[in-house]
Amino acid sequence: MGFLVTTLIFIVVGIIAALCARICCNKGPSTNLLHLTLVMTATVCCWMMWAIVYIAQMNPLIVPILSETE
Amino acid sequence: MAESHGGGCCPPMDLMRSEPMQLVQVIVPMESAHLTVSYLGDLGLLQFKDLNSEKSPFQRTYAAQIKRCGEMARKIRFFKDQMSKAGVSPKLILEKGIDIDFDDVEVKLDELESELVEINANNDKLQRSYNELVEYKLLLDKAGEFFASAHRSATAQQSEIESQQEGEDTLESPLLQEDKSIDATKQVKLGFLTGLVPREKSMVFERILFRATRGNIFIRQSVIEESVVDPNSGEKAEKNVFVVFYSGERAKSKILKICEAFGANRYPFSEELGRQSQMMTEVSGRLAELKTTISAGLDQRNILLETIGDQFEQWNHKVRKEKAIYHTLNMLSLDVTKKCLVGEGWSPVFAATQIQDALQRAAVDSNSQVGSILQVLRTKEMPPTFFRTNKFTTAFQEIVDAYGVAKYQEANPTVFTIVTFPFLFAVMFGDWGHGICILLATMYLILREKKFSSQKLGDIMEMAFGGRYVIFMMSLFSIYTGLIYNEFFSIPYPLFASSAYDCRDTACSEATTIGLIKTRDTYPFGVDPVWHGTRSELPFLNSLKMKMSILLGVAQMNLGIMMSFFNAKFFKSAVNIWFQFVPQMIFLNCLFGYLSVLIIIKWCTGSQADLYHVMIYMFLSPMDDLGENQLFPNQKIVQLTFLFLALVSVPWMLLPKPFILKKQHEARHEGQAYAQLDETDESLQVETNGGGHGHEEFEFSEIFVHQLIHTIEFVLGAVSNTASYLRLWALSLAHSELSSVFYEKVLLMAWGFNNIFILIIGILVFIFATVGVLLVMETLSAFLHALRLHWVEYQNKFYEGDGYKFAPFTFTLVGNEDE
Repeated sequence: MGFLVTTLIFIVVGIIAALCARICCNKGPSTNLLHLTLVMTATVCCWMMWAIVYIAQMNPLIVPILSETE
Repeated sequence: MAESHGGGCCPPMDLMRSEPMQLVQVIVPMESAHLTVSYLGDLGLLQFKDLNSEKSPFQRTYAAQIKRCGEMARKIRFFKDQMSKAGVSPKLILEKGIDIDFDDVEVKLDELESELVEINANNDKLQRSYNELVEYKLLLDKAGEFFASAHRSATAQQSEIESQQEGEDTLESPLLQEDKSIDATKQVKLGFLTGLVPREKSMVFERILFRATRGNIFIRQSVIEESVVDPNSGEKAEKNVFVVFYSGERAKSKILKICEAFGANRYPFSEELGRQSQMMTEVSGRLAELKTTISAGLDQRNILLETIGDQFEQWNHKVRKEKAIYHTLNMLSLDVTKKCLVGEGWSPVFAATQIQDALQRAAVDSNSQVGSILQVLRTKEMPPTFFRTNKFTTAFQEIVDAYGVAKYQEANPTVFTIVTFPFLFAVMFGDWGHGICILLATMYLILREKKFSSQKLGDIMEMAFGGRYVIFMMSLFSIYTGLIYNEFFSIPYPLFASSAYDCRDTACSEATTIGLIKTRDTYPFGVDPVWHGTRSELPFLNSLKMKMSILLGVAQMNLGIMMSFFNAKFFKSAVNIWFQFVPQMIFLNCLFGYLSVLIIIKWCTGSQADLYHVMIYMFLSPMDDLGENQLFPNQKIVQLTFLFLALVSVPWMLLPKPFILKKQHEARHEGQAYAQLDETDESLQVETNGGGHGHEEFEFSEIFVHQLIHTIEFVLGAVSNTASYLRLWALSLAHSELSSVFYEKVLLMAWGFNNIFILIIGILVFIFATVGVLLVMETLSAFLHALRLHWVEYQNKFYEGDGYKFAPFTFTLVGNEDE
């Protein structure tokens, strides 16, 4: 559940960033495509990292064992 | 591969492929040649080909002009030398518009040089006379002292002897009387020489004089306390004043020769007191005069140097520009019959109109009757690669070019590198505290961009400034991954929610033995903050980071193979798609893509399957039952299928392509052979063509070996490259461990002493260790490893990188030459 919600948040942030890039630097179709590619790549990379760390903690096989000293 | 026949598959994207280039030919009438090249240099979009490469530098058309420029450059260097010796610095160019005539500059440089040389020679002469006079004065002092004291003792002795003579009986000591009498007639005439000799040679000097004259000289030396400037060498030296008494002409000539050999300067000295004091006043007067003359001379020289300094930069720039223009003109070939110059060069297609404009302007400005002609040539040569970059993308493009310049119109790795390079750096660096520090440093560089770009920076600073946008991206991603790893100078914070873990019972009795359990929802963003400092932190993080590295690595390698698909589509090579791209995708994804899927399934289901075991036994004994390592139903059948597909894909990428290429080549040249059979008078040519397969070579064995190497590299590389991505885990572990050590063992320990001084020292040590080790060394280390991952593991899936860079003729580089 939390996974899907946060994935949606990532998608929305990505779309907003792409729109911002289009609004502030609109310099022709090929340049716009480059900006879109960069924003998409960044969003995908960030999402992948978050997703990997999140899924790894969903069903843990190792639990934290606190150390002796407080 | 001939001209580019690409495009049409995907919409065009900036920076993805080299700008289309064309070979143009420029025909320029002689009178507008110079101006044309000058305007083209200002434009900076044409790379001239050297059409006169077989000629030696002296055979070229404009050799004389280049010599002129060389002479002027030498004079300018001489001026610069003189200016730096005198401490005058040249004025920076403020106005750019003023155009100065080249011949004027030459004449002026000539004048100034001769004037400066003359002034220097005069100054040297005056300085030398000054030094000699200083030495003479010292000599007059010391020798005068010596003579005065000798005179005193001589008169004292004489009066004593006279008094003795008077007081004695002449009969009592007749013999003594004779001895003691000073017979004026028998007095030998002694000559003497005075001068200065360097102190270190003085003992040897004395000894040699003694030996040469058989001991028949009397020498007195006296030390000069302060060091004197030697007139010959112009340097300070320690000297002694010497007086040598000799008898006879032969002795005198010997002494003179020895003085010359030792570099001892001799000066005339007279015995009489009156003459001595006269000489003294004369010398002092002349010294004062010379001093004023010399200072006047130096002033004049400085004024001259300052006038030079005013115009120096302008002349320098002009001479360099002219030299560059003449070098370029030498590359054009002279068409004697038409009285014009023909040049060839590469230029981007979009620049054609701009070049036309420049040519027209030059023709008009030089009042020539005939205009210049620009025409496009068709050629099979490979053009240079040109990417239009701005200040942001330049640094990334340079990083990629450092490995190899892209072949003309192949896909440029830079496009994705702009994001993936800082991202992989950040995976290895993740700490949002450190990320903020680096962000602040790089914001300083970016905000002071204009000031720094006009200054001349040191080597290291230059590199850091050039890469400021790269470092900026790196720091932004580092802050993100730092939030994910939950490390702020190694301290975790529960920023997004509370930890998911809790004690098993209210007493928390088993927290240190069996551990906590997960009671709430997964921590929503990043690593749970409870993990830091626990005993099982490392096993958990290691497992997480290793699997993450594999997943990121497989993703990037797939992206690389997809880039090769885009290349194949662009160059319309179906062979590359079906017999290279497809088997490569199948091989990589059936093995390592499958591993990635298993990792995700294991995480999602929480199964305890041992993935090492699964992967290894998939190869060793694929027919065995999986037992407790089963992650999903029908896993065995799926594994067998994937294994089979992977095995099939290896000969699929090895064998068909060479044969298909051979068939294609034969099909292309079959048509040619048939066409030439029709022309009977060229029957001889048919045989040579058939033997050599036309002007294109096709060696089947070479193609086959090339494909074999490519296949082996890919297959073995799949394993080694995937493992290579584990450096993402290794460096991130090193970073977090170092950071945690500095925090706990330095800062916390210093805090524990409850002493303000130890605390301050501890904070200082912490800051220096953090900046030196973590912010500088770790940054460089992670930068290097991220770079390696891009250059090798990512680019060897698709990049050929054997092009050459577009180097247009431009004047902006002229300013940086010979500095």
